[in-house]
Amino acid sequence: MVQAQMNLPTKPSGVTSKGMKEQVDHRQLSQWLIAVAEQRDKQAFACLFKFFAPKILRIAQSKFNQEAQASEVVQETMSNVWRKAHLFDNAKGAATTWVYTVMRNVTFDMLRKVQSNREDTLSDDFWPIAESVVAEEDTFSDHLEKDKILSCIDELPENQQQVVKGFYFMEMSQEQLAKHLNLPLGTIKSRLRLALAKLRAQLGGKHD
Amino acid sequence: MIKHHPSQELLQAFVNGELPASLSAGVAIHADMCPACQANIANLTEQAAENSFEQAFLHQFVVDESDDISDIDFDRMFEEITQTDDLASVTPSQAKFVTLKGKEYKLPKQLQHMEFASPMNLGKLARSRINLGEGEIHSSLLHIDPGGSVPQHTHHGYELTLLLEGSFSDEMGEYHAGDFILLDQNHDHSPVSENGCLCFTVANDALHFTKGFNKLLNPFGSLIY
Repeated sequence: MVQAQMNLPTKPSGVTSKGMKEQVDHRQLSQWLIAVAEQRDKQAFACLFKFFAPKILRIAQSKFNQEAQASEVVQETMSNVWRKAHLFDNAKGAATTWVYTVMRNVTFDMLRKVQSNREDTLSDDFWPIAESVVAEEDTFSDHLEKDKILSCIDELPENQQQVVKGFYFMEMSQEQLAKHLNLPLGTIKSRLRLALAKLRAQLGGKHD
Repeated sequence: MIKHHPSQELLQAFVNGELPASLSAGVAIHADMCPACQANIANLTEQAAENSFEQAFLHQFVVDESDDISDIDFDRMFEEITQTDDLASVTPSQAKFVTLKGKEYKLPKQLQHMEFASPMNLGKLARSRINLGEGEIHSSLLHIDPGGSVPQHTHHGYELTLLLEGSFSDEMGEYHAGDFILLDQNHDHSPVSENGCLCFTVANDALHFTKGFNKLLNPFGSLIY
């Protein structure tokens, strides 16, 4: 599956009425977030930053009187997006919803600091940004899910299977795989990316 | 079976992050026990995200954007954030317990990082105040022994009772675990718990006892809830 090429609008163009929706490519946003989580991809993060940071700033400015506080909300939110991207679950909702949760939580804790002089961070207890870490009840469905993933992997082209199995089941690094398979690192990366896009389409495609 | 739910306005305020920590905890605990409200919250969250990130802005915003943003060095922010490649580690939290009148209760995870004062016993009641620093708003865990009751009272402000375990009843009916009961000064009630219960309570003013001899208790209204 080829990654859809799409330029994010940096300015609203041709918008005439209030309340009209900006065209947002949810699929692209999710892919960036996943690239940040899986490959620590700075380029992808730069795209997310460009999309979200100005919007977050505008919202924060409406909640905090001081510019420094509004700016702190942006910094803290985007920092959490960078550090916690692996907690985003594509199957559970849109990237925008996840980033909203991160932003709301940062804002809540900041407001508490300002209003109640508290340094606690209760927000993640009220609005977990990752669904509770491997709850026991999930074990059974995890097995089913794993079987489903395995059968999907078997349908991948041989050269992609190799990379996926090496990376996920033998926990080899991309560099190790490149060396082991005697391929350029870039090839490993692109095979992995293609394979993941395919798996994602099969396992949770409808949410994209 | 949960019969009492937060209002739509309250859920919206919760999703917006506009409720105090005490009420947010109450809504979150309820939602954990109530799939209907959970789904409702998920919906509202999606909408809030849409309103935040997908609304096209008026042209004036383009002007605002260049004005407001000139003060903020986004490039430097980006550099600072991406300096380290480390992912945040997530450790599952340990269950925490609280003991009231010799009975040990597991705390809901929403209350785990809150600070509890040592319990105070009042006859068949025991309560542990939660120190959230919210001024007039008082949050507590309230335990009622089997056969215990709170004398008939009303409230000057609001009173939230979130039933965590057990059951109690008042003039309006019987309540069970998960019920979210928010009352204001228009309500007069005297809860009785036949088999004992544990509640999370939030009130922004003292109880006001309304009947006969119990009126003498009014100076103590602020001790319960």
